[in-house]
Amino acid sequence: MRLDRTSWILPLAVIAVIAVIAAACGGGESRPAADASAAAPAGEGVVVQYDCIPNYANWGGVTALYERTTGVRVPPDMKGSSAAMAALEAERDHPQADCAYYSGAIGFEAARRGLHQAYRPAGWDSIPDALKDPDGLWWTVHTAAVALVVNTAALGDVPAPTSWDDLLDPRYEGLVAYDDPTWGGTAYTFVFGVNELMGGSAADFEPGLAYLEKLDANAHSYPRESVYNDVLRGEIPIWINADGNGYKMRWVDGGPVEVVIPREGTVSMPLVMGMAAGAPRPEAAKAYLDWLLTPAAQSEFAQAYFRPVIPGAMPAEIEERFLPATDYERVVHLDLAEMAGASDTLKRAWLERIRRGGGG
Amino acid sequence: MTAPLAAFLLAAFVLPLIRLVPAAVAPPADAVAQHGAGVGGSFARAFLGPGVEPFRNSLVISAGVSVIAVLLCLPAAWMLARHRFRLQGLLRTVLALPLTFSGVIVGFLGILVLGRLGLVPALLRLLTGEPLLAGSAYTLGGLVAAYVYFEVPRAVLTLEAALRRLPPELDRAAATLGAGAVQRLVRIHLPLVWPALVSTFAVAFAASMGSFGVALILARRFTVVPLEIYTEFTGFLDTGYASALCLGLAAVTLAANGLLRALTKNGDWIYG
Repeated sequence: MRLDRTSWILPLAVIAVIAVIAAACGGGESRPAADASAAAPAGEGVVVQYDCIPNYANWGGVTALYERTTGVRVPPDMKGSSAAMAALEAERDHPQADCAYYSGAIGFEAARRGLHQAYRPAGWDSIPDALKDPDGLWWTVHTAAVALVVNTAALGDVPAPTSWDDLLDPRYEGLVAYDDPTWGGTAYTFVFGVNELMGGSAADFEPGLAYLEKLDANAHSYPRESVYNDVLRGEIPIWINADGNGYKMRWVDGGPVEVVIPREGTVSMPLVMGMAAGAPRPEAAKAYLDWLLTPAAQSEFAQAYFRPVIPGAMPAEIEERFLPATDYERVVHLDLAEMAGASDTLKRAWLERIRRGGGG
Repeated sequence: MTAPLAAFLLAAFVLPLIRLVPAAVAPPADAVAQHGAGVGGSFARAFLGPGVEPFRNSLVISAGVSVIAVLLCLPAAWMLARHRFRLQGLLRTVLALPLTFSGVIVGFLGILVLGRLGLVPALLRLLTGEPLLAGSAYTLGGLVAAYVYFEVPRAVLTLEAALRRLPPELDRAAATLGAGAVQRLVRIHLPLVWPALVSTFAVAFAASMGSFGVALILARRFTVVPLEIYTEFTGFLDTGYASALCLGLAAVTLAANGLLRALTKNGDWIYG
């Protein structure tokens, strides 16, 4: 077939442009989840935050308020903590994100890997020392506690569990879910924390893994996507996740949801941020990170029932909807360095023993 | 008109694959420390070690799902290609609809239909008093069903296109010469249709091998190669092992397609 010489110049040009863009973006490494950077123009009117899930910790409300206040847009980004760190790692040579949000240990690990740059946002001194890196490589924006988020309507006549031991009861068969810890930081906090609650340590995962193996008999699934709505509509009746997500289901979405702090106690979960190394929009990022610690932003997080890290920012009407302070006396704090150090080994062991280990 | 396509394939397929090679050959320091696998170690893990199970699973589920999809779609494709009837356009549109869904969406759909509170269990509860099949979306059967659903539009459209190219005169000539229905099926239809079936199988197989979203949402224990790549990359930042798995997936899929193409002895049918 004879070619019309002009007919293939246009497609070739398009391909050349695609190739150049692909090479500039780092070529072969593709990012696994939906990402904000692709949608974000390079201007200063945007800050890109990896892990900015609108219905987690009210990021949707917080970023909307920021846009109303300053005109700067922070697009949603559906990566969980681990995926956010993986994306920063993949883009190390061509950073796309300005900052990232994580479950504590993963933020700690991202900082250790050199994916952050030091920055101490305004309001720094109000953050308790245990909840920040002295150099400003990461800091806490709010805290939560791992809890049982129970859809009581979905349970029907079966009473809500009140303890970790209760969860093993066969009447909860097929009803209990927690996220895959290789995907999400909250679930990793739970998997690491439950080991400590069962008497294990960072050097001995056996008590926790043995418990999780027993819990596997009652597992609904190990989600690798946000299942907030599945819990709300009852597809997943019991979700081991941040207490704040449960309070939000109940008080914001009006769901038949109860939050339970198990009798044996539970673990706290600082949620941290860091400024990305080589952030393409550093000034906009700093302004945004400063703003996130202001009372306005902090009380907006509280609308999703995550505890502000800045004292006094919790609105009274939100505070009184939490379980009583006596329940929260059973919350244990974890060592982020230990948690980050154990990460790969424990996640690997979880995959072997729990996800692939069981029958069916 | 092959130059633009060749350039596109080079930019979008060959170059990215080549980029994976260095990472796969020399794994990152963390992975070396953890698995004690130096140069080439990622390949050993992918093809001799923990990677064997996901590869076996991917091959088995993709082959099984593709056979089911081809058999399921053959009657519909035959109808669409060889007969004219009312609402034909509508039927084709409905059959092609899932083509617009990503695997993740199909996974969500699987939960809505076969989840704990799925539509099917709800209907069965009305009929039998028991919510039968509740939660089956998360079982291997549910996963297979979702994969098949994912493959149906591709299979129907590929098969229909291929069947359309069958010369109807042969069939009529054979009938005129006195061949019965069975004889025509065995001597005319099957030999003619066989390459179309194989090419449709090949397309469905390749798509299933690469499909990620369905398994991401539904697979509880079962793991497939794309899911393994995702987990290793996002969960462990092991770019070496993930890259080795990627290269293996590309090699296996290409080899399978080449084999199928050779099987039909007529490359034209592939992607026909």
